[in-house]
Amino acid sequence: MTVYSFYIFDRHAECIYKRRWLPRPTSVAGKPQTQGGPTGLGQTVRASDDDAKLVFGTVFSLRNMVRKLGGDDDNFISYTTNQYKLHYYETPTNIKFVMLTDLKSPSMRIALQQIYINLFVEYVVKNPLSPVEHPGGVGVNNELFEESLEQFVTRVLA
Amino acid sequence: MSYYFTILSPTDTPIFNIAFGTSKSGGDGIARFRFPDTAQYMNQFIIHSSLDIVEETQWTNGGMYLKHIDTYPPAAAYISAFLTPSGARFLLLHQPPQLPASNSSSLGASSLLGASGSTTRASSSSIAANPTSPQTEEAVRQFMNEIYESYVKTAMSPFYKQGMEIRSPVFRTKVTAAGKKWL
Amino acid sequence: MSATKASRIGEEIWKTRIDKVNAELVTLTYGTIVAQLCQDYDSNYQDVNKQLDKMGYNIGMRLIEDFLAKSGVGRCANFRETADMIAKVGFKIFLNVAPTVTNWSSDNNQFSLIFDENPLADFVELPDDGRAQDELWFSNILCGVLRGSLEMVQMQIEAHFVSDVLRGDDTTEMRVSLVRYIEDEMPPEEE
Repeated sequence: MTVYSFYIFDRHAECIYKRRWLPRPTSVAGKPQTQGGPTGLGQTVRASDDDAKLVFGTVFSLRNMVRKLGGDDDNFISYTTNQYKLHYYETPTNIKFVMLTDLKSPSMRIALQQIYINLFVEYVVKNPLSPVEHPGGVGVNNELFEESLEQFVTRVLA
Repeated sequence: MSYYFTILSPTDTPIFNIAFGTSKSGGDGIARFRFPDTAQYMNQFIIHSSLDIVEETQWTNGGMYLKHIDTYPPAAAYISAFLTPSGARFLLLHQPPQLPASNSSSLGASSLLGASGSTTRASSSSIAANPTSPQTEEAVRQFMNEIYESYVKTAMSPFYKQGMEIRSPVFRTKVTAAGKKWL
Repeated sequence: MSATKASRIGEEIWKTRIDKVNAELVTLTYGTIVAQLCQDYDSNYQDVNKQLDKMGYNIGMRLIEDFLAKSGVGRCANFRETADMIAKVGFKIFLNVAPTVTNWSSDNNQFSLIFDENPLADFVELPDDGRAQDELWFSNILCGVLRGSLEMVQMQIEAHFVSDVLRGDDTTEMRVSLVRYIEDEMPPEEE
């Protein structure tokens, strides 16, 4: 499977972290498409900043709709398009973790939860030098978090 | 038996004083020193003059409890000492009651420290009457250990500054209780 | 979720997932902080209380994430459940105490936590300046912690101590009131 991109949104609806991966040629062996990212997103045209807003708008509306239909405790887990699969995990503190992968990916709910528990809480929240809130991503973009996320995505999920 | 107990900080500042009497053998826990008029400062004088001996003794003995270290015969005052590893010193002055025979002098007026009437209380075999006996030594050890425990707890209070006078009423109560229990 | 189930969860996490630290270290560290604050604020205990609450608030905002990560519990269905969660899981795993939840208001928006033991206050004797006994809430940081952590899970609360054994009261009691549930924030409007 391939991970395309990953976003974290805080409780103020701000994107505090985003990361995109270009699928490495080796890991997509057997897959016809070799250019970077899901073609359906058209990220070559749009600035990546808009990407995050778009993703947020999508998950936010979807989540609210899901709650209207399924009750306050309901949450959506993922949705699939012809081109990609979006995985969603939200903590009770309203931090939203979003991951876009290819279609072959299994459920990433546990993986996102792991990222929250083992990476975000450990390296961002517990870092006394990082601010409590992360406007503009301050504090999240620290080396430990980035590196471990990289490792997690490339080794564990690959 | 009357007692005078002092704690000295590592820098030789007296940080705690208390005078009390025996509670054993029917004692009422009130200090009755032989020379009530002068007891207040004489006790301090006697107890502090034993510090030289504490210093001599402290390195010869591995224990914290130095037992009976000094005697001041004119006042029949016996001094026992206990050292904490941090350098605080607990000094206890004990003065056995006067023998009934010699109890004729008219000291009685002073109400708090004075009243020398009830001297029949201490039997000759009690802790009180034998300041150097092994039983007394053991009782003082227990007393000191209990104080040490309370002292550590008091020193752990964030509002207590090392080397300052201990004004905690809790600590005073505990010392009184320990005195009542062991002495 | 029932209180007994919350107790079980708290016990389980405490046993298996919590790194333990020497209690005296915590007590002395906290005591030193309070004593230093008292000194820095020239024994203006109102300011000290305020500062402790503020520090707790900042702790709470982070601690809640650790709490959720360790406990894996979801959103509480109501404020009563929240109270049990705080008392039986939160306090249990971070301080190894489980205060009693009691004195509910009739609208279920206020309750009291009664602390039988308080590891922050071991050894402590308040300064005998005649004011600390009436003005200083030694463990006030806990109020801030609750305020900060509950704010992160969309509850605005107010918490304060109403009695403290350090002051000579019979019990240590904290009063917690729900002010409101916080609505989700919307993304800023695009211009």
